[in-house]
Amino acid sequence: MASTANKPVSGKKTGSSRQRQNTHEGFLTHRNMYWAKLSAALALVLTLLYIFVPLPGTHFGSSWLGYTLGTIGALLILWLTMLGMRKRAITPGRWSLKAWTSAHVYLGLLVTVVGTLHSGFEFGWNVHTLAWALMLLVVGSGVFGIWVYATLPRALSANRYDEEGAITEKQMIEALRSLDRQIHDAAQPLDAQAATLVGQSLDQDPFGGTIWNRVTGNYPNCATRHAINELRALRATRQRTKDDLLSRIDAQLTRKESMLERLRQHLKLKSWLQAWLYVHVPVTFALIAALSAHVVSVFFYW
Amino acid sequence: MSFVVRQIALKSSGEEIVRGSTYGMREMTVGRDSACAIHLPDLAVNPVHARIVRGADGILTVTATTDQPFEVNGRSTKSAEIDPAVGGELAFGGHRIAVSQDEDGETPVLTVRRVEAVSESAEDRDIGAAYSLKGLLPGKRLSAWAFSLLVLFAFLAYPLYSYATYKPLAMKEEARRPDGFHADQTWTSGALSLSHKALNGDCQACHTQAFVAVTDKACLTCHTKDAHDHIADKARLLKARGEPTGMAAMQRAVAGAFNRPAGRCVDCHTEHEGAGAMPATQQQFCADCHDGMKGRLPDTKIADAADFGTAHPQFRPTLLSGMDGDKPLFRRVAWEAGLKEENGLKFTHGQHLSKTNGIAQMVRRMPGKFAGGDGLQCADCHAADSSGARFKPVDMEESCQSCHALSFDQIGGTNRTLRHGDPAQVVADLRAFYRGTAPARPANLSGMARRVPGDAAMRSTAADYARAVRFYPGGADQAINQVFSKGGMCYDCHVVTRGGTAQTAGFAIAPVAQNDRYFRKGWFDHKAHVQSDCADCHTGAATSNKATDLLVPGMDGRGGCRTCHVGGEGAKMASNSVKDPVESSCAMCHSYHMDAGAPWVPKNDRKKSDGQIVAIADRPRFPMKPH
Repeated sequence: MASTANKPVSGKKTGSSRQRQNTHEGFLTHRNMYWAKLSAALALVLTLLYIFVPLPGTHFGSSWLGYTLGTIGALLILWLTMLGMRKRAITPGRWSLKAWTSAHVYLGLLVTVVGTLHSGFEFGWNVHTLAWALMLLVVGSGVFGIWVYATLPRALSANRYDEEGAITEKQMIEALRSLDRQIHDAAQPLDAQAATLVGQSLDQDPFGGTIWNRVTGNYPNCATRHAINELRALRATRQRTKDDLLSRIDAQLTRKESMLERLRQHLKLKSWLQAWLYVHVPVTFALIAALSAHVVSVFFYW
Repeated sequence: MSFVVRQIALKSSGEEIVRGSTYGMREMTVGRDSACAIHLPDLAVNPVHARIVRGADGILTVTATTDQPFEVNGRSTKSAEIDPAVGGELAFGGHRIAVSQDEDGETPVLTVRRVEAVSESAEDRDIGAAYSLKGLLPGKRLSAWAFSLLVLFAFLAYPLYSYATYKPLAMKEEARRPDGFHADQTWTSGALSLSHKALNGDCQACHTQAFVAVTDKACLTCHTKDAHDHIADKARLLKARGEPTGMAAMQRAVAGAFNRPAGRCVDCHTEHEGAGAMPATQQQFCADCHDGMKGRLPDTKIADAADFGTAHPQFRPTLLSGMDGDKPLFRRVAWEAGLKEENGLKFTHGQHLSKTNGIAQMVRRMPGKFAGGDGLQCADCHAADSSGARFKPVDMEESCQSCHALSFDQIGGTNRTLRHGDPAQVVADLRAFYRGTAPARPANLSGMARRVPGDAAMRSTAADYARAVRFYPGGADQAINQVFSKGGMCYDCHVVTRGGTAQTAGFAIAPVAQNDRYFRKGWFDHKAHVQSDCADCHTGAATSNKATDLLVPGMDGRGGCRTCHVGGEGAKMASNSVKDPVESSCAMCHSYHMDAGAPWVPKNDRKKSDGQIVAIADRPRFPMKPH
């Protein structure tokens, strides 16, 4: 996980009175940011080469420096893609997965420099610029992924904690089920109109909605919210009784709504943690396709 | 008359619990209300949803009590009849009631079963999947395939299809692909230069064969007349270039390995570098061969050259060396200070450009008639040609005659002039003048004139006049002699000898030739230098009083080109101090495909007036040392 997830494990003390030391090191700071430094140095060297190496022409992909940068960039992209294979095999040591991930992140940033220098800043509506743009999209989504990995887990746990402690994903569903049962039982004496409203709340899938609802955490068609509003309107026109059924149901629906709110916040944060990969991975393959077309086209119309 | 109602509940293990009860009545209610005989704790069911009545024939009639329907055998209705002997199924909300008959064949049995969970959340679900984006977005694997195939199709397969479609057209001069979009245009690495603009949609005009680098043949398909070899003997060209070493050798090897032979047109004439003019040829391409060429090609007459600022042979201007009849003879001479050139004229640049002598005084007296106000200027005699690159020959009638007039007579305010350029005519005109005219009649011989009293004065005048008339035609020879001799009109500017025929009274004018281009292997454009003063380069003009002085500047020294021009990369001789350096690669003055015209210069650069007329130029493709 990202370095900012290094929250010191505080509070509970172990058998001895010593404070427990946190030894977790994220992939961003792995080996004292070895890969970050290496990438920065390489970027600097390549930029200096680009500026100062005398080329017989102006900068273009087809100078010797251009072809060299292009070859480096293409191989780098293929190697970066291999993280997907590598991460499925966890090994310790020098080429641990963490080292690999650290290298993936920083060499991934470096590839934008390599690719852009390779282009010689000549852009147009063609397959070459398409490959470049896809590369930026992949790296951009990766940077976004790092950003969410670094910031969202904290928000995720904050959302799961309340005065009663943390709640797990399974418990969230159980809590909703319990509330639904209570509401179901309490609503039995209701007339048809009110029962239908409550029934809609029960029948709505708490995990439903579109990707947009999921990512924004905004559910304008929430049946529970709707039921609460409608029942309150009904209550306003009816005579109050001592043991007001509608008021009890209202309280239960409100509890359900707040539970739903928490669940949806949880889903939203989790979707952010996952969604970038739905760009990062498929666009990587599109990039490799565009890269292949780029290379073939260059040699085809040599 | 009774019903059997069986309520079926499920244990968490999935086992069924059946609670049966018998109701001894003819009519039953179905609803959420707990008072109903068939109580369905279901919010989708009305408090009293339907009524079931058993008829005398045993048929059950089910009727909805409100407008809300129920389902019978999967169809929505408000009333239905069911024969328990046949059976049927009723559905109310999330409950199903199966209708059947007891074993006694008489009592109807209603089996109530909840088929839907109390709520959606109560449904079983895979927690791992529920909390992920599964189902909301197309899977990563699916979209990876989709995107990749889309890109491969649009940018690889489709362009290949375009290529294959028009392949038979390649290498045909007039054949063009139709206008419009062709998929292989997505492969372009940049717009073509302006001169090839029309080919932007026709990749195959140049890229005739797959995986074969653009060949000279493709260029020559269209450039049938306007392109030719630098030198015809290719072997000599290769020898001049020599074998590359070090990095260049490696690059050549790599280029060779990738099927990109060196020495093609496109090595210099690079393309796809934007919709401007083609860039000028790089100095490198010239220097690769011409730097130290004598070492590789000992018999060459061409001196070694690399960079104008440091390694350029002395200029060899073409000078007039004499005349063969009317045809001027030229020779190329290495430039040095004090070179002489015979053009047959006498002229004093220094005297004419003086600001203090009589000529300057004359100019001052005629303001507006000359280019300057305080003396003659270069432009008073030298006029640029239409291109502005060179100067028209100085024309006697236009440039000299306003001062060096050839008048010899005046009639009614009109001057009669001798014909310039035709000495025989001059002689004839003068003789005719003296034959056909008489001396002016003295005023005191006319009747009306006032005169001294007495006849003596008139007699004397008449005698003088008679003598003058008698000897007048003989004056022609004298006038002719005068005109061709020192102090005469012709002699002022021309070299006159006594080798002429009788027609020209024995005088001969040396033939005159004016040199219109001194540097024939290079190119000098006066227009590009309009911001400079003439005397900045032609430094000798103000002091030269001999027409034979060569005023064309050389490479070094005062007014020499290297005063401003440094080499292609700014290199200059250590001995030169250049105030405002102008970087000058070979192509600024030399053209690879040389002809009488100016070297090829991108149009937009040609307009620049800062002296920089060639694009700072640039890039070759992969092989770095083409030739």
